[in-house]
Amino acid sequence: MPRIAGVDIPENKKILYSLQYIYGIGPKTAETILERTSIEPDRRARDLTDEEVASIAVEIDSNHVVEGSLRRQLQQDIQRLKDIRCWRGERHRKGLPVRGQRTRCNARTRKGRKKTVAGKKGVKG
Amino acid sequence: MSRSTKKGPYVDEKLYMKVQQQAESGNRTPIKTWARSCTIVPEFVGHTFQVHNGRSFVDCFCSEDMVGHKLGEFAPTRLFRGHTNKKEGIKS
Repeated sequence: MPRIAGVDIPENKKILYSLQYIYGIGPKTAETILERTSIEPDRRARDLTDEEVASIAVEIDSNHVVEGSLRRQLQQDIQRLKDIRCWRGERHRKGLPVRGQRTRCNARTRKGRKKTVAGKKGVKG
Repeated sequence: MSRSTKKGPYVDEKLYMKVQQQAESGNRTPIKTWARSCTIVPEFVGHTFQVHNGRSFVDCFCSEDMVGHKLGEFAPTRLFRGHTNKKEGIKS
């Protein structure tokens, strides 16, 4: 099992797909990485030579933000919004949708599980 | 290039002029403005604005991090005091 970018261990899949198990690498980035390292995307991850794996690792290291550093970057971006006290930062703080979606109903992804309010219209309390 | 980058940032001309006047004179009194849709450009950094929220003016000191945002983002227009509580009556 090859190890690329720290902890990730993709395996019996084609390299194009196993690369996508790394946080921050999707279909498009996986494609460009393989193009730049000139490895055919259809080869299995276990069939790669050590040099090929190393070349992928170098490519990711130099040109892509991935895993921990990407997570940190995202967190910093959100923290910046919170620090300058702008509208989007406030929405992040309150755990409500940030991009202007309605919150009268739905918005459950941001708000979490339903909290039923007794006595509200339609609820027998 | 998206359509919005082609068009460039929107900056309220009158407000921009006022900021430049202040920059020349070194006077840093807050500028009252209704131009909520005006983008904060690097020249605005260090100036204080009073952005209208429909009711009153909210103080807004522009720092470097705020560049690229709109003035209106820093003057919330809605006041949320929490939901009413049936048992204890309406929260003030």
